Amino acid sequence: MDIFNYISVNTFWTIWLLVHLLLAVGLLGALTHQAVAVMMPVRQVAGAPGFVTRFRGVPAAGYATAVCIMWILTFIAGSYIYTKYRIYVRIPIEQAGHWKAQGFFDFKEHVASIGLVLLPVYWYFWKNAQNPEYDTARKAVTVYLAVACWFLFIVGHVLNNVRGFGS
Amino acid sequence: MSTSTASTRTKSATSSWATSARFKTFAITFAITGTVIYLLCLQFNWPLFTFHPAVSRFEWGWGPSRSGEGPAMYWYGWTATTIIAGAIVSFLVSLLPESMTKKIPLILVWLLPILAIPYLIYDLRSWWFHP
Repeated sequence: MDIFNYISVNTFWTIWLLVHLLLAVGLLGALTHQAVAVMMPVRQVAGAPGFVTRFRGVPAAGYATAVCIMWILTFIAGSYIYTKYRIYVRIPIEQAGHWKAQGFFDFKEHVASIGLVLLPVYWYFWKNAQNPEYDTARKAVTVYLAVACWFLFIVGHVLNNVRGFGS
Repeated sequence: MSTSTASTRTKSATSSWATSARFKTFAITFAITGTVIYLLCLQFNWPLFTFHPAVSRFEWGWGPSRSGEGPAMYWYGWTATTIIAGAIVSFLVSLLPESMTKKIPLILVWLLPILAIPYLIYDLRSWWFHP
């Protein structure tokens, strides 16, 4: 059974691009909550907590495993669609002379790989969040991953706009 | 009953990793060596394999783009080199006595990835200054 009897090649890759996007959105939300919680932990709230307090008042340790899984899944989905990007997006981007956009994509792939190697230690630090020995490293690795994720997301979004959705 | 047993087993397996001194050493070393190995792969172009997406062909090590076969992709190969070499080194380090492994500076876990950023910006300079 060939899937392309039912959907076009363009639709197939667009679906994968959307899967990559949705996983990235979930990852971005989890990491942003966690980074804010770790940088501005909620201590004691007088009165009803506001939006910002609730935003940073999440049980951050509980996000660690989900973040690792989502980073890996987003990475795999991105790696899968990358082959098509290399041929059908990057070449037209180069032909159009968008050199900086291409540079940012290469930057994105490097940052994603470096983020990948940080996941085991990130998970370990969060599973031992009660150990003050790891406090600084846990905060730094979490904020690094959150900033990296925002960077990856924005670059992916802009590059998608350069070529045009579904093109 | 079986679900509860499975979930208990999963939980205890997870917590044993979280309390394992060997896993701690592995994870810290993997973060440090992984970052360094990835940058070395970029600097010296050490992909484990090259992928030619237009013809879906894999080639061990570094291979050039060939006429009629479209572009060559090295990123998969650099990442594979990093994960495999990083995992081997980290596993070997995790076998060392704790008296040695506890001397690994924790600061390197996050300092090296931060220091990697200016290097990456420099490495990609041909894109930033392309005429």
